[in-house]
Amino acid sequence: MDKERRERLIRTTGVHLAMEATETLRQVVEEFPDNPRAMDYFYDLFRAEYCGGGAKKNGAMRIGMLCVQAPEELIRAAGAVPVRLCSGSHAFDQAGAEFMPAKACSLVKATLGMLSLRTAGGAERLDLVVNPTTCEQKKKAGELLEDFGYRVHHLEMPPAKDSEEARIYWQRSVKKFAAVLEETTGVRITKQRLAKAIRTTGMARSAYRRLHELAKWPRPLIRGKDVMLVTNAYFFDDLDRWTAAVTELADEIEQRRETNLPGAGKHAPRILFTGSPPIFPNLKLPLLIEQAGGVIVVDEVCSSSRLLHDQVAYDEQALYDMVPAVADRVLKPCTCPVFLSSQDRVRRLLDLAASFAVDGVVYQSFAGCMPYALEQRSVGQALVNANIPMLSVETDYGPDDQGQLSTRVEAFIESLRGKARKRA
Amino acid sequence: MNALRRFLNNGDINRFRLWFQLGAFGLLIYGGFLAMDIGNSLPTFSCVFVDSRAGACYLYPLQHQVNMPWSQFSGGRGIGLAVGLVTFFLFFVLFNKAWCGYACPLGTVQDWITKLRARLGIRYSLYANETFGRLKAIKYVLLALLILLPLGISNSLFGLPKLPRDLATSYCMICPGRTVLPLFTGDASQLAIDFSSRTMMALTGLGMAITGGFFAGAFVKKRFFCLFCPMSALQYAFSKAGLLRLTKQGAKCTRCGNCSRVCDVGIREIADDVTSRNIVQDDCMMCFKCVAACPESHCLAVTFLGMPVYEATAEGFMRRTKRRDNHG
Repeated sequence: MDKERRERLIRTTGVHLAMEATETLRQVVEEFPDNPRAMDYFYDLFRAEYCGGGAKKNGAMRIGMLCVQAPEELIRAAGAVPVRLCSGSHAFDQAGAEFMPAKACSLVKATLGMLSLRTAGGAERLDLVVNPTTCEQKKKAGELLEDFGYRVHHLEMPPAKDSEEARIYWQRSVKKFAAVLEETTGVRITKQRLAKAIRTTGMARSAYRRLHELAKWPRPLIRGKDVMLVTNAYFFDDLDRWTAAVTELADEIEQRRETNLPGAGKHAPRILFTGSPPIFPNLKLPLLIEQAGGVIVVDEVCSSSRLLHDQVAYDEQALYDMVPAVADRVLKPCTCPVFLSSQDRVRRLLDLAASFAVDGVVYQSFAGCMPYALEQRSVGQALVNANIPMLSVETDYGPDDQGQLSTRVEAFIESLRGKARKRA
Repeated sequence: MNALRRFLNNGDINRFRLWFQLGAFGLLIYGGFLAMDIGNSLPTFSCVFVDSRAGACYLYPLQHQVNMPWSQFSGGRGIGLAVGLVTFFLFFVLFNKAWCGYACPLGTVQDWITKLRARLGIRYSLYANETFGRLKAIKYVLLALLILLPLGISNSLFGLPKLPRDLATSYCMICPGRTVLPLFTGDASQLAIDFSSRTMMALTGLGMAITGGFFAGAFVKKRFFCLFCPMSALQYAFSKAGLLRLTKQGAKCTRCGNCSRVCDVGIREIADDVTSRNIVQDDCMMCFKCVAACPESHCLAVTFLGMPVYEATAEGFMRRTKRRDNHG
């Protein structure tokens, strides 16, 4: 790519990204009457990150993660800051299109586009990029990143997670990753440092779980579009600040429960969102659902609940037990469709649907994302058996299908109203 | 009631267990000094070779009681056997396999050895799944022998000649409880090979070898001996009737495997089985470390007569994590 063309591309992409982000934030903030005040922290954070050229980064080393599957505790214990690189930007999607086939998934293309331009979204300065070998598109993207000049560590993952062999393979792979981290940062991962990382990330997840629990309340107290901003912020925000902001938000939401402050109405259909992850600024489908009068009370996506639910437990405070423990956390409970069996995901969805009194499920699969498209049938069947309606949507980051989608989503939400009224 | 429940669920059962085990150890090994005697049918290794014990391990009388001709089973001695078994059952049914995790002196000794190893920073070893499956059958073989050998002294089994009298308490002769536990009262006399007969020589020789294996095994593998324990096999036969239970709500389980990874005996089913309600396995000692390590509210629970006594909660999990890190 010659220099002039590249600079032009960086400029135009930057403008488009800011426009996208501004529009998404406008919808998130202005189209709903009942935003919690504590959400302002997150609105401002995204404004600064995407529209204001990015917040100032401190001096710590930054390790990019191409997937939630890399154990972030190890990165923190090695004195670095993890940044999740998955991008939701249509502008970056277009920039990345030249590296991948036309039918490839928007998320992978957008991430590649972002990293090829190195302008925003956390790509400015990265000391190492970790690429967990999940789906085939991410595997190949990792290789391309090496061509872009990044230092990439391919974190090898097993294709299944139930067998002992898979677990041992994964634990060894993670151990190797720990050594690479130490070499990168020059900081030794000690049991004290790792214990602290396990505790602080555990507290962050604990704060999120509290917010999550509050969504079980019969009258919805917070909307999914806000929860998704909160979880998306975890990709790049400072850990302690994020935990404090989530705690503050949960406190406010708890107050709403007690004082009956506004939230969505009692009769709003309650939605469980699953499938390909909605990542800022691509909150297209979640926003359509809530603009149509539904409320996403719970989700099962890797940019949100899956990322922030599971906790680490270790038996002996020593690295020989703690490193396998953080490895287990990202493998054993993971419900990503790249694994052999969809059973855990189906069980998780059914439990979430029951415990959050869900009226319907929306299943998003990005065009080109084979794993989610492949699991749609078995998930759909399990939901039908449990008498839970499901809307399955194939979409991408482009704005073209907006009209068609909004008709379908509105019809689906309307069809759930009777059910929601009966429940309430 | 809710406040009490929350207090309990937030508690650290591992610390509670540490002190409980110490108390139980003191009671069972030294209780005799206070003239305590809680009978001869205890479902735990309160070894008869410890003079100051507060009660006796049921395996010893059991071996004596089955040592009788077939004809006497329906007579007075048969009633003795039945009474012993019923007493054992009544003791057992109260606390189920928690006798292993909370009371067994030999189990406690192994836990102390584990603490020592961990303090030295030496890593534990684990069994591969298949090895585990094969080894766990040994305890049933030992239990069968423990009953068949004394029977074979008084009766001719399978047309074989009657067995020598020295096999009367054959299991006790090879049990590490006999050699290890008296050491805590300053009695090392069991650490010897008995040359009085060929049978005794073989049995006590094997016993010495097993004692060596006990220490070496416990140092590298948590609760090494428990996998082979015939008491554990006998208990499991009655475990379904236990009043104290370990239960699981499979729907709440994410199969994160935390429970299984902290399990001292390495039970996989606790994490992988999402259909059974009563989740006690034959190797389970009901230490309830799994409940403390479970971050999913109400997934794993300890119940007594169906009432939850200690439940996994997200809040309790986080409290324990924080507390632990602060205490180093």
